[in-house]
Amino acid sequence: MNRYEMIYIIDTGLEEAARKELIEKVSALIANNGGEIEKVDETWGKRRLAYAIDYKTEGWYVLVNFKAPAELPRELERNLQINENVLRYLVVKLEEKRSAVKPRAARPAPVEEAPAEEAPVAEEAPAEAEPVAEVAPAMEAAPDTDAE
Amino acid sequence: MSEERGERRPRPRGGRRPRRKVCNFCVDKIEYIDYKDINRLRRFTNERGKILPRRMSGNCAKHQRQLSEAIKRARAIALMPYTVD
Repeated sequence: MNRYEMIYIIDTGLEEAARKELIEKVSALIANNGGEIEKVDETWGKRRLAYAIDYKTEGWYVLVNFKAPAELPRELERNLQINENVLRYLVVKLEEKRSAVKPRAARPAPVEEAPAEEAPVAEEAPAEAEPVAEVAPAMEAAPDTDAE
Repeated sequence: MSEERGERRPRPRGGRRPRRKVCNFCVDKIEYIDYKDINRLRRFTNERGKILPRRMSGNCAKHQRQLSEAIKRARAIALMPYTVD
């Protein structure tokens, strides 16, 4: 079993019910071929494409993380290739060591129209007070022992 | 020449010494350059969408390789443009 990450872009012309069905179908395909879905992330939602694909300027992005045997991506890609509502797909194998670090600002929710404001920056971790507190008594004690 | 010791490269006359660039990814301790992180990737392309060479970006070889891979992936799924004009 390897860990994979897949992004695919669905035609925005597809209405919501059909889109849900397609996402279900893809998930089922993974599950039925010995794969194991970890996460289906639709928070990307509708996005402007960086360049037109089939004269379309927008697409619905779906991100899927899954575990699967090595043969599955080929079968998966074959199916995505056939489906004409999928504009693009990309399956990437995640290296075990690397996948620990994943910097990605989560978008709050798929916004239908207008550029969404940037998500608020993650709140800073509270300053660590513990080590300082531990050191302080030691510092106080030191002069005492040296006193005449 | 003994007087040249310590100075590795003679400075071009009149020009300022080029500051040693440090790898952005090493500084931020990033092990894996995510192709989905387009805000970061975009800083390493010029206004035409081309990937900046190492001599411009100052990246180390390891990260430059990862970076170019990440940008190419981002292009493949239309997160970044192949060309801008």
